[in-house]
Amino acid sequence: MPETNTSINTSRTRRVRKPKKSQIPQAILVTLFMIAFGFYLGAGNSKLPVYWGFGIAFGYILQRSRFCFTAAFRDPCITGSTSVTRAVLVAVAVASVGFFAIKLSPVLAGSETNLNMSGVSPIGLPLMLGAILFGIGMVIAGGCASGTLMRVGEGFTMQMLSLVFFVAGSLWGAHDMNFWSKFNENAPKIFLPDVFGWFGAILVQGLIIILLYIAAVKWQEKKMGSAE
Amino acid sequence: MAEFTLDCLGEACPVPLMKTEKKLNELTVGDVLIISIDHSCAMKNVPEWARKQGHNVEIEEVDDGEWEIVIEKTK
Amino acid sequence: MKQFFIRLGENPIYKKLLKEPLTYIAGAVLLAVFQIAHFSSLGSGWGVTSTFANWGAWIFEALGGDVSNWVYFSGEKAQKALESSFLADGGSIRNLGIIVGALAATLFASQFKFKKLKSLRQAVAAILGGLLMGYGARMAGGCNIGALFTGISSFSLSGWIFGAFLLAGAFIGSKLLAKYFM
Repeated sequence: MPETNTSINTSRTRRVRKPKKSQIPQAILVTLFMIAFGFYLGAGNSKLPVYWGFGIAFGYILQRSRFCFTAAFRDPCITGSTSVTRAVLVAVAVASVGFFAIKLSPVLAGSETNLNMSGVSPIGLPLMLGAILFGIGMVIAGGCASGTLMRVGEGFTMQMLSLVFFVAGSLWGAHDMNFWSKFNENAPKIFLPDVFGWFGAILVQGLIIILLYIAAVKWQEKKMGSAE
Repeated sequence: MAEFTLDCLGEACPVPLMKTEKKLNELTVGDVLIISIDHSCAMKNVPEWARKQGHNVEIEEVDDGEWEIVIEKTK
Repeated sequence: MKQFFIRLGENPIYKKLLKEPLTYIAGAVLLAVFQIAHFSSLGSGWGVTSTFANWGAWIFEALGGDVSNWVYFSGEKAQKALESSFLADGGSIRNLGIIVGALAATLFASQFKFKKLKSLRQAVAAILGGLLMGYGARMAGGCNIGALFTGISSFSLSGWIFGAFLLAGAFIGSKLLAKYFM
């Protein structure tokens, strides 16, 4: 890492350090709680511990890697840095391969399935307007949905407040779907393999990801002078 | 060769980064800026940004979940 | 005992595994692997925000409101979720898991700190941002996870469209942030 050759001589008086505390004992307590709660959930329901485990895994990974979907879209606008943007493209690329296989396997086996359209949403005015509102909100609040939850876990009061109003906004939005759902009546649901065929779909998806990756590299070079 | 401090405690992303960028623009080459932060993401993205800009960077964990980022302006 | 934990926290292997941040790419690959596992075991991709609407509805109904004639909650799935409760709803448990998982990660790194609100400006940003995200996510049918990550991975064109407009929103948000919230 470049840290090694960058010792800086300053005359600053270093703050007197408080004696270091270790939070590992609390961490172990939380871990024990996770396991116990998992068994408690599993007593009457076999699915709930799975949800619990996935939640923990996602929260843990997000925090450990400082992964932030907000930064992926915000940083190119503010500093021109696209390192998180590129990481999101990698995540999408890897996940696409897995989702492709899962959706294709029942087709190959010749069985009827509704797995194909899982995760496919209508493309209409509400999708576009909603995305813009969401984009503005996540930059102002300093985190999107997963980011807000993760930061609640890290102890941020700001995101706890944000979460309360996120829930309120969700209820408000759900209420107004009485109005917005009209625009979704004729909105198409487009599943790429329906348009390009299975092979064509993975080709098109891969091409989009690669082109965006190149664009992200170029953007950072232009804005920051290096693509590192 | 002056030394400046920037208090970003309690600030969420991307405010520490934007403040750092602004403050660093006001400094002259050789000056040192010390930024106090307690946001775990800023502790990664501020040094990363400064290194990309070619400045010298040092991170010090001063307390549980609190860091000082020392940036020496080099250009 | 206390000394033992402090020494453990300074062990290079411990630091590598549990303290120093992973790279963004490592995070990306791990998230993708767990996203695939989620889809294959539960039959649907990861989502966060539709649960928030259920939380809102539960609170609203507890306060005496009624959502039974809302179009959004008219579907069979939404009805089922409404009749459920926090401890029996998979989405709620998963969201709680994200909070607890992040808490555990922070504690293992000895970096937990309770961070108070710094200013009124921050409170306004949190309230406004939260409302916009909640409303926007319901319109778009998801957030960065459900509509973007899961949408694109599911080969839905809607995911890419969501991303394009999200970028436009993030651009506007950045301008607003620089102007009013700094």
